[in-house]
Amino acid sequence: MAAAPSLRAPPLTLASTAAALRTFSRTLVLQPQKPLFTSSRALRSPPLPRFPSNLPRRRLATRASADGGNGAPDPRQFDFDLFTIGAGSGGVRASRFAATYGAKVAICELPFSTISSESAGGVGGTCVLRGCVPKKLLVYSSKYSHEFEESRGFGWTYEADPMHDWSTLIANKNAELQRLTGIYKNILQNSGVTLIEGRGKIVDPHTVDVDGKHYTARHILISVGGRPNLPDIPGIEHAIDSDAALDLPSKPEKIAIVGGGYIALEFAGIFNGLKSEVHVFIRQKKVLRGFDEEIRNFVSEQMSLRGIEFHTEETPQAILKSSDGLLSLRTNKETVDGFSHIMFATGRRPNTKNLGLEDVGVELAKNGAILVDEYSQTSVDSIWAVGDATDRLNLTPVALMEGGAFAKTVFGKEPTVPDYRAVPSAVFCQPPIGQVGLTEEQAIQEYGDVDIYTANFRPLKATLSGLPDRDFMKLIVCASTNKVLGVHMCGEDSPEIIQGIAIAVKAGLTKADFDSTVGIHPTSAEEFVTMRSPTRKIRKDPSPAMEKNVDEVRPDRNK
Amino acid sequence: MARKMLIDGELGQTIEEEKQYDFDLFVIGAGSGGVRASRTSASFGAKVAICELPFHPISSEVIGGIGGTCVIRGCVPKKILVYGAQFRGEFEDCRNFGWELSDQVDFNWKKLLHNKTQEITRLNGIYKRLLSNAGVTMFEGEGKLIDAHLVEVTQADGTTKQYSAKHILIATGSRAQRVNIPGKELAITSDEALSLDELPKRAVILGGGYIAVEFASIWRGLGAEVDLFYRKELPLRGFDDEMRAVVAKNLEGRGIRLHPGTNLSELRNGEDGIRVLTDHGDEITADVVLFATGRLPNTKRLNLQAVGVEVDKTGAIKVDEYSRTTVPNIWAVGDVTNRMNLTPVALMEGTCFSKTVFGGQPTKPDYISIPCAVFCIPPLSVVGLSEQQALEQAKSDILVYTSSFNPMKNTISGRQEKTIMKLIVDSETDKVLGASMCGPDAPEIMQGLAVALKCGATKAQFDSTVGIHPSAAEEFVTMRSITRRVAAGAKP
Repeated sequence: MAAAPSLRAPPLTLASTAAALRTFSRTLVLQPQKPLFTSSRALRSPPLPRFPSNLPRRRLATRASADGGNGAPDPRQFDFDLFTIGAGSGGVRASRFAATYGAKVAICELPFSTISSESAGGVGGTCVLRGCVPKKLLVYSSKYSHEFEESRGFGWTYEADPMHDWSTLIANKNAELQRLTGIYKNILQNSGVTLIEGRGKIVDPHTVDVDGKHYTARHILISVGGRPNLPDIPGIEHAIDSDAALDLPSKPEKIAIVGGGYIALEFAGIFNGLKSEVHVFIRQKKVLRGFDEEIRNFVSEQMSLRGIEFHTEETPQAILKSSDGLLSLRTNKETVDGFSHIMFATGRRPNTKNLGLEDVGVELAKNGAILVDEYSQTSVDSIWAVGDATDRLNLTPVALMEGGAFAKTVFGKEPTVPDYRAVPSAVFCQPPIGQVGLTEEQAIQEYGDVDIYTANFRPLKATLSGLPDRDFMKLIVCASTNKVLGVHMCGEDSPEIIQGIAIAVKAGLTKADFDSTVGIHPTSAEEFVTMRSPTRKIRKDPSPAMEKNVDEVRPDRNK
Repeated sequence: MARKMLIDGELGQTIEEEKQYDFDLFVIGAGSGGVRASRTSASFGAKVAICELPFHPISSEVIGGIGGTCVIRGCVPKKILVYGAQFRGEFEDCRNFGWELSDQVDFNWKKLLHNKTQEITRLNGIYKRLLSNAGVTMFEGEGKLIDAHLVEVTQADGTTKQYSAKHILIATGSRAQRVNIPGKELAITSDEALSLDELPKRAVILGGGYIAVEFASIWRGLGAEVDLFYRKELPLRGFDDEMRAVVAKNLEGRGIRLHPGTNLSELRNGEDGIRVLTDHGDEITADVVLFATGRLPNTKRLNLQAVGVEVDKTGAIKVDEYSRTTVPNIWAVGDVTNRMNLTPVALMEGTCFSKTVFGGQPTKPDYISIPCAVFCIPPLSVVGLSEQQALEQAKSDILVYTSSFNPMKNTISGRQEKTIMKLIVDSETDKVLGASMCGPDAPEIMQGLAVALKCGATKAQFDSTVGIHPSAAEEFVTMRSITRRVAAGAKP
């Protein structure tokens, strides 16, 4: 891997290039959510990787030597060693890495558009064009209204309330996306990857058709990602999805967001921050299914305090458009009128239709996800798939990991299985969430006896701003091994704070290790190394003696 | 200062100490270290008293306040002012994100000051409650030693009382010092700077340490013209040289005028403010001159010498690795010992003291891989070794990974300011020896890395961690190629 030309660590003098490369090399994707309201499974860090079970696990050694791109006995001549369909996070990473291993690589991608379809996409993929990057840019913009509020407690005063101009934001956002897609193209070119614009379709296990032209390849990688999926209810044609929500011509005055997953909450935060009236409709009692229960409660409380109205246990049944052009959302419980926009964030589906997969024997799951083994190989030996198209753990950094592992396995002679343990993730709602490892519920199920440490406090900034903001932090510790199994936080800077913690969790560190670390004062993060007493001890077999320990002053001194 | 290792349960068991004392522990100074030691000792069953000077934001020989420097004149009020100052950058950055602000957003210093004072007064109250809830007896007044087991407390009205104790802990902290130049009385220290009646329009700061750069950022952010003078080529001596250069560049980028290699030679009263003369022969006029030129331990009036407690040249109390002074039952923690002057370190020392003396668990503070932060704007945070320190200690080659990038927010805001990250790795063991970052959220980001470093995490373990996207912090787990390899023994 050291040989791979790096996007990172450019010398200081190349700052502007560095800037470009950095943003470029970040990638991530909106995770596919299961059909209406069921999602966020993807956001958990499952204790074990979830692999499609219907694909036999073949021994890799056999396969790698058989068709590993190095002296494979196939007598055929191919146009390319690798043909990648889809130039998003996973596809670009896999292609570049494969090229650095000496493979001749081509990649195809649809023409650029901010809104994806069967015929539009763009180099960079969901993360860069319709996901992480534009989402985060809008989050930055929307956060300012809260900061203006905060600033008053710090002595700042405004002659007039700050106003927001939607079109400036969207124009600047789109200019940035154009820049990024251009950088992505350059990066591919500089790696020696042939970029072909058009829609790729598989003809046979070694042939891809791009708009009528055929290319042969020893290996084919499918990294076509996912797309938002809307339920089929009357009036759904009036609704928008996250693609459209990131590129609206004007700011919603009043918006309904249907869904309780991370995409729904992020957009609720964005529009609320930009002063739209925001209603969130969720089918369940709580948002963010799959997340730690305390986090779920805490985040909806905090979001409500910032002005978002939640409608729980409501299933949308129809969208009605009135003569004044405004929309009404009818649910099983009520009809709410006067929406300028209704957005569905009700899940994403793999983009696997009309790719010719079924015809060549690539097996798909019911939802269209490509079934792969732990090396990302499909049921056809020469065809592989990474990223959201496989619906494993739908995060950009995971697609990067899968793409890197694929290239190593197939072209680097180093069979590599992506490691799905302790993958951290974030929700950029306001306040944001960061988490790594198990939820309390998962930890109890898996380990039985766990100690829970929590802190729920008013951060220093809030004491001055006078706003009702709070931070919530949680450590989940295995009672028998002292290992930290999960860490969760909701509050300012959570995603940034959790990244370093994730290294510690991934390395299997213990609560004692956390305790031995000195805090950085004054920060929010220092709370994670100064949690001395468990909030509760959970035991499969609660004995009275043990219950008593819970309130002991310094329980951490004695096991 | 080498001492016999304390054996569990040995302390306090000698016949001589079977005497009756008013308290098991008397603590002089209720700052971070003193409060922590008192509370922890009390929780081990000790009968504890603590004395502290009356509360006021500006300290002196007779003024202090429960909570100490950190809460009243240090970390907390400083951070509050940094928060206030950061908004200026946000007002600049928000425009390209679509926000329209009136040209002038006004800043009301008195309001910030009022809210700050209200907050530290609140915290002062919380600290008092913590102590009383822990069963610690509080005395207001100036404590000094009479003998190895006797403390005299002088109250505000001048009356004195004496208390005997089996153990005495000195946790009196430190105070800002002025340099000795003509007109020095015209300058202020950080104490006053945190409580000025008026916000200066023109500020001169002398010093290159963290206090100097933090105040430079605060005053600049709140709208002042700031000139920063320091003797070295770069500020923040002791930090990684590369990061020092970055901080200097960022300060300049935010509009602070830097005067490296320059000292102040004299201050004079002028019609239009304080006339500041430099050793380069220049003169500028300022409303406020801040000396951020170091702090000295508060040991002068404690009567230490008479009791046999040794201090070093700077006045710092000499202690062994258990925080014991040259008098066996007198101990000292925190800035007064001038070891590593950070609040969390004082807390650690306080806890270790209590465990050692009252918990039957001799415990040495561990000074390895202690993270810290400088809250300039944008902030710097580090843990472990700088590149220079790593090279000094290296047995094998050092691998340096650096990353300089435009934070995503700046792609829209247009702010020209890079975030810099750096990892120092031992080529032989793959251990990450040091990490540093200068950029938004650096202190929050560094805390988790500190856990990893403290436990000897390797670069491979960093690399095996999946990133959180899109964050700045993910850069630390995606630094794939070495920026440079420096041979062991090479001159930094």
